[in-house]
Amino acid sequence: MSPAVAEKVDDDLWSAIGDPTRRLVLDLLLVDGAGTATTLSQQMPVTRQAVAKHLGVLDRVGLVRATPAGREKRYRVDEAQLARAAAQLSSVGSAWDARLRRIKRIAEAIQRSQQDQQRDRPDRGE
Amino acid sequence: MEFGSIEREIYVEASPEIVFEVVSSPDHLKRWWPDDARYDPTPGSVGEIVFGDRDAGGTVVPFTVVDARPPRTFSFRWTHPADEVAAEGNSLLVTFDLTPSGGGTLLRMTETGFREMGWEVAVLEQEYQGHLTGWDFYLSRLAPYVATLEVRR
Repeated sequence: MSPAVAEKVDDDLWSAIGDPTRRLVLDLLLVDGAGTATTLSQQMPVTRQAVAKHLGVLDRVGLVRATPAGREKRYRVDEAQLARAAAQLSSVGSAWDARLRRIKRIAEAIQRSQQDQQRDRPDRGE
Repeated sequence: MEFGSIEREIYVEASPEIVFEVVSSPDHLKRWWPDDARYDPTPGSVGEIVFGDRDAGGTVVPFTVVDARPPRTFSFRWTHPADEVAAEGNSLLVTFDLTPSGGGTLLRMTETGFREMGWEVAVLEQEYQGHLTGWDFYLSRLAPYVATLEVRR
């Protein structure tokens, strides 16, 4: 896959996963192991046709894999692709964890030094 | 987890006034994030943050203050192109909300805009900055992006 294609796939991956209905589809597939548009629509407040459309989007970005099942397709989650999307987001999150720990350290040091100053001046403390 | 935004919460044993100062003033920002920061911490102010040495290949990133209401809220946009006004779709929005709690402050951080901006671009930007500041730099994670980085620049 050329870098330009890889980039396009990642943007599509992101918008595929960004939709709440599609996240529900993924959740249900992860719980049930596999499902068809019919079985999924029975557990969701949307039509079979709508679910089929969402499955199509997920299929195009590789988040699910289809196998024929009678007149329908049976879908499974591609866990490697899902893990890839999750890892990208969590690496950004852990950068923020580190920044917030620094913010905490700095703010608490300022707070302590202000308290110490008050203690050093008993005439102004309570 | 809501895909499309990052949310974090941390309890700080310091007053909201102090925490607000630490998350909003350029002098403090430099101590927890970029190597240099130039902006006025008032709404609408446009400035920049710098990763690395400005005169020796460092990265200058636009930084626009969106909201500043001491000691409760501070928000800014970053990563927008230098010649564009920061808006939804071209930048990441970081919001700090401060709530007094016990003797200290509950600090909540939200970063949004990943979906609107384009996932790959947004994450690359983040990982690139993380690398330059030495935080959270995982070679194994960054390596797949090096190819796309070279194509884009």
